[in-house]
Amino acid sequence: MRISIDHQAIDVNPGETILEAVRKTGIDIPTLCYHEAFGGQGMCRMCMVEVKNGNTTRLVASCTYPIYEEIEVKTSTPAIEKIRRSIVTLLYRTAPKSEFMENLYREYNCKENRLSIDLNERCILCRLCVRACEEIGSSAISAIFRGTEKRISTPFDEASAVCIGCAACVEVCPTGAIGLSETDEERTIWNKTFALVHCERCGKPFATREQLDYIATRVGMKDNAANFCEDCRKKNLATQISQFI
Amino acid sequence: MQQAINNDKRMILVCCGTGCLANGSMEVYQALQQQLSTNEVQVKTYTKATGCNGWCEQGPLVKIMPDDITYCLVNAKDVPEIIAKTLQTGEIINRLLYRDPKSKKRFKSHHEIDFYKKQHKVALRNIGEIDPASIEDYISTDGYKALKKVLQEMTSAQVIDEVMKSGLRGRGGGGFPTGLKWKAGATTKASPRYVICNGDEGDPGAFMDRSIMEGDPHTVIEGMIICAYAIGACAGYIYVRNEYSLAVKNLNIAINNARSQGYLGKDILGSQLAFDIEIVRGGGAFVCGEETALIASIEGNVGEPRDKYIFPTEKGLWGQPTIINNVETWANIPVIINKGAAEFASIGTEGSKGTKVFSLVGKVINTGLVEVPMGTTLREIIFDIGGGIPGGRNFKAVQTGGPSGGCIPEHMLDLQVDFDTLIKAGSMMGSGGLIVMDDRTCMVEIARYYANFLAGESCGKCTPCREGIKAMLEILNNICQGEGREEDLEFLQEIGETMQTASLCALGRTAPNPVLSTLHHFREEYLEHINNARCPAGVCRDLTEFYIDGEPCTGCGLCVKNCPVDAISGEKKKVHVIDQDKCIQCGECINHCKFDAVKIR
Repeated sequence: MRISIDHQAIDVNPGETILEAVRKTGIDIPTLCYHEAFGGQGMCRMCMVEVKNGNTTRLVASCTYPIYEEIEVKTSTPAIEKIRRSIVTLLYRTAPKSEFMENLYREYNCKENRLSIDLNERCILCRLCVRACEEIGSSAISAIFRGTEKRISTPFDEASAVCIGCAACVEVCPTGAIGLSETDEERTIWNKTFALVHCERCGKPFATREQLDYIATRVGMKDNAANFCEDCRKKNLATQISQFI
Repeated sequence: MQQAINNDKRMILVCCGTGCLANGSMEVYQALQQQLSTNEVQVKTYTKATGCNGWCEQGPLVKIMPDDITYCLVNAKDVPEIIAKTLQTGEIINRLLYRDPKSKKRFKSHHEIDFYKKQHKVALRNIGEIDPASIEDYISTDGYKALKKVLQEMTSAQVIDEVMKSGLRGRGGGGFPTGLKWKAGATTKASPRYVICNGDEGDPGAFMDRSIMEGDPHTVIEGMIICAYAIGACAGYIYVRNEYSLAVKNLNIAINNARSQGYLGKDILGSQLAFDIEIVRGGGAFVCGEETALIASIEGNVGEPRDKYIFPTEKGLWGQPTIINNVETWANIPVIINKGAAEFASIGTEGSKGTKVFSLVGKVINTGLVEVPMGTTLREIIFDIGGGIPGGRNFKAVQTGGPSGGCIPEHMLDLQVDFDTLIKAGSMMGSGGLIVMDDRTCMVEIARYYANFLAGESCGKCTPCREGIKAMLEILNNICQGEGREEDLEFLQEIGETMQTASLCALGRTAPNPVLSTLHHFREEYLEHINNARCPAGVCRDLTEFYIDGEPCTGCGLCVKNCPVDAISGEKKKVHVIDQDKCIQCGECINHCKFDAVKIR
């Protein structure tokens, strides 16, 4: 089916979200809680767009709005920009020291205000970490409490039995809010300390034991290749292939 | 007063709603039962513990039928006298009758007083009249008659059509047309389908759903079965907050009784319909009143809403078509079927049909539950039914719709209340809370109070609501402490507008209402706080100084007696003085002074 995005006609698959459709056109819609790997969560509301369906026009979150009708979408209007600026203004104080929020604050030309700022805060509650952990299959962290007390943690803030220390949460976090400390031997994350496994080839610490065991059970095999870091695994494979040539 | 004794069996109705129970009505009920069972009492009686009569201010209430006598503020100690005089000789006990504070007249029956005269009971029709634990009582008042009619005489399409024609709109707050919702649920292809009763009443001060679930649980069940027939649902859930223990208890009894009499289960009343209901107890999160959060909660997930671009009628509980209606909406269904859509639609306004139950609380003489036709003015509800403002104070504002409703000022008292007029006035119907405020209420503090409530009760999922409330609360705290600036008001407005347009659910979109409506109607009061460091209502402690005006002060000493910190001194019959160093600005002096001598600087 065909819809119009910023006066440009494009073909979409029924059920596709507006955000997915828009991204295909190369038009940019800002998002904080969306990730290609997980889809939209409808939480940050940065991706609000204007949708005209017949005679009704309204603002919707483009990451969760599924297209089933021939709608007209506007990705930027003064009202939308005002919302985005307002959201960035409010969120900035939750992660004032992060480069990510600093850039957004500048980009949206946010006005200064007198709201208090906690320089130690870094989390904007986009929950990408929670989604990443869910996708990995652990679900060791989640958003706990409610209202203004909401934050991300493990159950009861204790070391989680299911956390494998993979640090996918850290990887996906835009503001560097998740504490991770690492030595050559150990990694500590979410109040749990993991021994690090060293690569058999180059000796670099590259994963936790729990992580490797988890991968082995997920792929259903015990593989010695798992004891090599990503680089060395590639090199090993290349060596093996070169023997055939 | 003496009247002819009625020798037929007497019915004694003891109100055992939550308000009366708290004031000892169970003791009254037990004393009546116990003392009437002895051989010395020669009258035939039948005593019933009923649901809430709504007139909580005057509870415990005891009604004697068919004589139609209503006793107010009854104590267990009054029981021997009631038996000896009223039940045995027909003598009416004057001191237990309601005394109108204005006319000083006493009234024999509650039907004669203003509080009840202007009410029109539809959803509350049985409450206070029947024993909620008795299915026979419900059946004797046309109970399950609508269900029989539906199963024997109507097709499911006819049922939906009837509900559509009635013009009934959802009583939980949104005001979505109930018939349309049912039709949407019935026309989806997927099955199984579900029916849910939303009993997660969370607004501070609202207790109409509680009253219905406690006092007339079968009407909710009957409404749900009728819907199940209309849309082809196989299972229903009643979501009640766990702290409503009496509601949970009475609903459980009612479901069991309905099941054993063939109203629930397989082949209901010999028809093909199979439907059963389960109770789900909620943990008490305010946000779980939002339907998608409620559904998530039933599924065992965290109670957080989702975007409703696809309605629950298409994808609701477990991803299946689901009809979810509020308790009061369900209570209207049997009446619509029994009396016909036309009669129901003859009550109310153009866009809002039927009646609405309001819980009238705050600074009003008759606090309680009132049911009035849509379109009744705020003035009628607050002054005619509610009896006006106590203590000779002046009306200042009324908040409708709970924590996310708006505050409506005095010049709008003649507003005819319905779904649409309230939204136009910057407020909303919500579940029907009406909190009346007098001139000792600071509107900035009210906005701050609700921001604080919502800071704890927002689910915290979407940014505009979570961060918006957090920011608003901080700004309002500043203003209440005398640290506000004029530009703060602009910022509050901007945050509020973002929340209204961008929040994920209706809770977030309406959360700024208390702030925006007070900013609109009471801007002067905000400016007084900011520019003159003064709280005109004398509430914000940092901005309040009380003093005694020499002229009206008679030196009665009432303020001295009530001051908790001994800050007031003065000889008898001479002007008193407040020691500002000791004063903690609690306002007890101004609240008690009968001569208007305590002033706010």
